[in-house]
Amino acid sequence: MSGFLYGVALQWKLDIRSKSLLVTCYIVPLIFFLLVGGIFTSVMPEMRSTLIQSMIVMGVSMGAFIGLPPSLVETYGSNIKKVYQANGVPLYLGLITMFLSAFVHLMLTCIIILLLAPILFEAALPVHFPEFFLALAIYIIVSLSIGSILGLIVKNQAKLTMIAQLVFLPSIMLSGIMFPTHMLPDFLKTIGHLFPASWGYRLMLDHGFQLENIWYLILVFCVAVIVCGVLLKKQKSK
Amino acid sequence: MKNAIQVYGLEKSYGSHIVLQGLDLQIETGEIFTLLGVNGAGKTTTLECIEGLRKYDSGTVIVNGKMGIQLQSSSLPSYIKPMEAVKLFAKWNKAKIDFSMLDTLGIKEIERKQYVQLSTGQKRRLHLALALSGNPDIIFLDEPTAGLDVEGRLSLHDQIRKLKSQGKTIVLASHDMAEVEALSDRIAILNDGNIVFCGTALELTEKVGKKYIVHIKTQQGNNTFETDNIGDTLLSLLGELKHKGIGVLDIKVDRGTLEQHFIEIARRAEE
Repeated sequence: MSGFLYGVALQWKLDIRSKSLLVTCYIVPLIFFLLVGGIFTSVMPEMRSTLIQSMIVMGVSMGAFIGLPPSLVETYGSNIKKVYQANGVPLYLGLITMFLSAFVHLMLTCIIILLLAPILFEAALPVHFPEFFLALAIYIIVSLSIGSILGLIVKNQAKLTMIAQLVFLPSIMLSGIMFPTHMLPDFLKTIGHLFPASWGYRLMLDHGFQLENIWYLILVFCVAVIVCGVLLKKQKSK
Repeated sequence: MKNAIQVYGLEKSYGSHIVLQGLDLQIETGEIFTLLGVNGAGKTTTLECIEGLRKYDSGTVIVNGKMGIQLQSSSLPSYIKPMEAVKLFAKWNKAKIDFSMLDTLGIKEIERKQYVQLSTGQKRRLHLALALSGNPDIIFLDEPTAGLDVEGRLSLHDQIRKLKSQGKTIVLASHDMAEVEALSDRIAILNDGNIVFCGTALELTEKVGKKYIVHIKTQQGNNTFETDNIGDTLLSLLGELKHKGIGVLDIKVDRGTLEQHFIEIARRAEE
């Protein structure tokens, strides 16, 4: 257990040293929040009621799809995994420690948004905090599980940048955080429903913590866990 | 004494390409054993099958002891510091950190640097320290001194000898013949997936059947000649020179280098 805990703590430190994670988990989402939050609430004051949830979806999507996968590619697309394997460190350690560390980083970003939004933009705070935080945790976990698949399946950083955008952009554009989904054509609405962002967004809204908003996220998470398990097993047998 | 490693009938193919064809190998406990072979001979595949990093098609591999492995191409996360990596590996192996070993390898001098800032030699030393961090009985070193300067190489040789003196078994793969000759107790030459020679460097020379080449420098000049019987030849030569009153300034006896013998064995195996 002490090896595992040390691995998690070490990964946390490595993530802080890595500038790319700092950019994708903190700097860009927070700058986006400051700029877009200001614009949204000035142009459409009614967005104050959903600003926190919208900005959180943006921040989590960026951290999970663009921030986490490169760290995984660094480990699983290189000889690092062989060095781990050769010296008795289990292959899953990298994935789990990076996942947990990214979870904490994203949670911190979301808390910063939650604390600043009411002060800076008079945004409405969630009514039921426990439900909100549970919904947030579920959404972060599901997003990171998709980020984990990307990091394990793609072997080089250049390809990853492209593929990560294919998940990130529709998540942002079609989830309802930028504009209401009823304004979208039906096929785009359907595509938007494939990404967890739209489900996570609804789950975090007041009175949104319901089975009809959660089942898809659980399904995606279960599938992602199986896929990650298969991908790790494949890496091991190589 | 129980062998540290026993390999019987090891076979491995990549698609239709056969790499190992029923390889047998025994490595004794406490020896420095070197695997030699031209590129593509199957050295890395053999080592990785023994290390458990690669699945093999058939055969038996028995490893009696805990392994520590330094890979030829190694890497670590860019921002990790040497001591953090050592601690991580030691904790996973439930082993105590050997600070004197870290001192000898110069890990303390680089403890503030991140992996990405280390030189090739520093990275090699760190990977050796990681291989040793679990206090293994058997240590695999794949090209351990590649990229090191002379000083670094000699210091690593000392470290390897020290490990042997502690009773560790060392399995070495190297292209540096001087290093192989200086360190190895036994050598195995791999060719086309088979062991074509296994024994000491002296036995290799005997097998190649090289004659002794004697270079002698006297007051009357230099002379070089070949002989099969070095003892008798030298005794009679020195006796004759003494009898004639000719002073000997220098004598050098040479049986060819390990490199020449290796090439000869590989050539014979090809034939």
